[in-house]
Amino acid sequence: MNVFLSIARRILSILVTLFGASVIVFIILRVLPGNAVSAAMGTSEGLLTRAQIAALDRYYGVGQPAVQQYFSWLHATLTGNLGVSLTYRESVSTLIGSTLPVTLELAFFSMVLGLFIGVGFGMWSALHPGRWQDNLGQAVSVVGLAVPGFILAQVLSVYMADKFHYFPSSLNFVGFFTNPWLNFQQIIFPALVLSLGIGAAILRTTRGAVLEVKSLNFARTALGKGVSRSAYIWRHLFLNSLTAVVTMSGIQLGYLIGGTVFVEQIFVLPGMGRQMITAITDRDYPVLQSVTLVFAAGFVIVNMLVDLTYSLVDPRTRKR
Amino acid sequence: MKRTIGVRGLASAALVVSTIGMFSSSVLDSASASASVSPKASSSTLVIGTVNSVQKIDPDVVTNFLDFEALGLIYNTLVQENASLKIVPDLATSWTFSNGNKRLTLQLRQGVKFDDGSTMTSADVVASLNRAQATKTADPSASFIGSVTKVAASGANAVVLTMSHADVSVLEGLATVNLGIMPAAAISAGTIATKPDGTGPFEFSKLVPTTSFTMKANPNYWGGKVSLSTVELKTIPTEQSISSALQAGTIQMALLSQPTVVSTIPQSFLVQHAMDLSYRALQLQDKVGILANVNARRAIACATNRNQILQDSVFGNGKVVGPVPLGPYATNPVSAICPTQNLAQARKYLKASGHASGFTFTAITSTDLDSTSAAQAIAMQSELARVGIKMNIQNLAGNAYIQDWLKGKFQAAFALNGADPSPYVMYGRYFGKGAGLAVPAGYSSKSLQQELLAGDVNSTPAGQTAAWKKLNNDLTGNAVWIWLFDSYDFAVLSSHVHGFTLSPINTTQLSSLANTTLK
Repeated sequence: MNVFLSIARRILSILVTLFGASVIVFIILRVLPGNAVSAAMGTSEGLLTRAQIAALDRYYGVGQPAVQQYFSWLHATLTGNLGVSLTYRESVSTLIGSTLPVTLELAFFSMVLGLFIGVGFGMWSALHPGRWQDNLGQAVSVVGLAVPGFILAQVLSVYMADKFHYFPSSLNFVGFFTNPWLNFQQIIFPALVLSLGIGAAILRTTRGAVLEVKSLNFARTALGKGVSRSAYIWRHLFLNSLTAVVTMSGIQLGYLIGGTVFVEQIFVLPGMGRQMITAITDRDYPVLQSVTLVFAAGFVIVNMLVDLTYSLVDPRTRKR
Repeated sequence: MKRTIGVRGLASAALVVSTIGMFSSSVLDSASASASVSPKASSSTLVIGTVNSVQKIDPDVVTNFLDFEALGLIYNTLVQENASLKIVPDLATSWTFSNGNKRLTLQLRQGVKFDDGSTMTSADVVASLNRAQATKTADPSASFIGSVTKVAASGANAVVLTMSHADVSVLEGLATVNLGIMPAAAISAGTIATKPDGTGPFEFSKLVPTTSFTMKANPNYWGGKVSLSTVELKTIPTEQSISSALQAGTIQMALLSQPTVVSTIPQSFLVQHAMDLSYRALQLQDKVGILANVNARRAIACATNRNQILQDSVFGNGKVVGPVPLGPYATNPVSAICPTQNLAQARKYLKASGHASGFTFTAITSTDLDSTSAAQAIAMQSELARVGIKMNIQNLAGNAYIQDWLKGKFQAAFALNGADPSPYVMYGRYFGKGAGLAVPAGYSSKSLQQELLAGDVNSTPAGQTAAWKKLNNDLTGNAVWIWLFDSYDFAVLSSHVHGFTLSPINTTQLSSLANTTLK
């Protein structure tokens, strides 16, 4: 019963968070100067007659009171209708349906690579403190944290194109099952750029956590009792450091949302980050509100998964 | 036991993440099933990289340049501007003004077919122009034919435009894609906004929002066979990424505007440049404050070093211009009072203005709308400071700039404005009687209105030249605004692309794609 109550409480908390996010986004968008008409027409709006502007206001729904606009959108969203893009006159669900998978795939690969870099180098560093392996790990983390992702992305894409005439992500994007090899080539480089920043943070956390666990009595006892090296590393050190790694990974997944925006721009990936930039420029409110909601939902769900993972990796966090 | 649960948990989490990844990929398959998977485009498919994306496909409502470019390949207009910016036939083969330039009769080209297979008649032209003029359409170029009170068919192959007053500039107005010709049946059916149907060299094929716009050759094109089977305008959000895509061979042509990026293109590519049919100017609000003083404005005009601004903002890739940048009536010299920087003259004007030691004003810029505007402003700021004029700079987000600009809420504004070979079309909207953009123009005078009208009603070349020279002198002599420069647009072509020439008309720069081949 407690489990159901806990789940219900989490779901309620998610709904409240999403509602709050949607209200904040709505208010911010309305506070910004301009509207969909001025975004669409630019300075040409001045050439229109009042009657023409009124016709466009009706077309874009600009004349409606803000509260009415919000609740119309909320009502439609709750009934599964995300509305129609003001710029492209296409259903927002269709637009998001075509961009969300790209961003999910990018996030997935970035996270996998980030974990590989972070956990791998972190463990390696912690197992050889003060030696060259540790120095190498530290260097990787410094580079990952210090080099801005957008610079790395630009340098990587320019270098590959200049030296190897290779820039596969500038081809039309293909799905994994359509052409796995091309899909892999299109995703791997942007994912690599994102993963470096993620991996650096995870690396530092992993190293610190493992070093701490290493210094605890039970770890030294296990080593003294003669457990195998692999059991010592993975069962005793790694599993007991996992809570910190999971926490940092959850935070980095949140970072990924922001990171996809610039990476998708530079690597020409048709994902949600790029869609969001375009929607902001065009004041395409239905798209922007829905994209933001999807990002917020992703963030909340990741946090929930992280919380759930705690109870799996650390029995002490389970409620009796 | 506890460890086992932990490992299982990790495995479950990994499974969930993998499932999401697989699911996303499978969903994507359906979305991109028709996408190209070949690293190189087929021999007759030309992929053009551009930072912009096509947004609207209804020619009557488009406002951004790429929409014009794309739809300009699908739709024809009654007349068009050639490379010398002179009006030449398009769907109208000839025309005559009559009744004191209050009536325009256009003879239509015969045997022209729309993409839907129907033959173009005068009824289609009448329906198209009526649609453009209808309030609910909100066509931004409707004002170009604002003087037209009636559009009527004269038989199957001619139309007559009746104007409320003598207006020869209506002909230039008809050259815009916003007044493209479409089938009357499609207008009635309301399908124009979703399925373009024109008479141009290409037909609409597919629009993938924010990603690409694809056209295929029109087999019935009246202008002859089109070599390229497919043209794709591919959106690549940064110019540097476009350069990379060119070098990787994933696109064969690129439209660029940043000289810094163009300078990095390898020599194996052909770089074409053309003057953009637009101009940069510092617009002034001349009705209030210090800038209401004509001598203060003249001091700014004389202290401005246009060549330096051109150099600093676009590395010299352009030309210093006056109010009319290109075409038969291009302004020459660029200013009636100070064609080049003249600090001594600037100080004289300052003295005459009653502010011998200088004055302060604020200029707005928007790097969202014109990435070079901040560089222009900084260059101008340092030059003006030499005579004691302090110019504050306020950079605004694109939409904020547009709002302030439309309401005239600025003292000075660095602007990138579209141009036209016809001075009347260019400045009638700012300084003409009842002008739509009178507020951001910030200046009005009866003499300007009369000069615009004189040029508009005069149908002889000599008469128009004299009228427009007077207008140029009035605008620059009173330093209504400070006109700065016109920059180049660039097209970069791979060695496979032949027969393309970048047009100076920024809404139909791609028109020569009809004659382009890939080898």
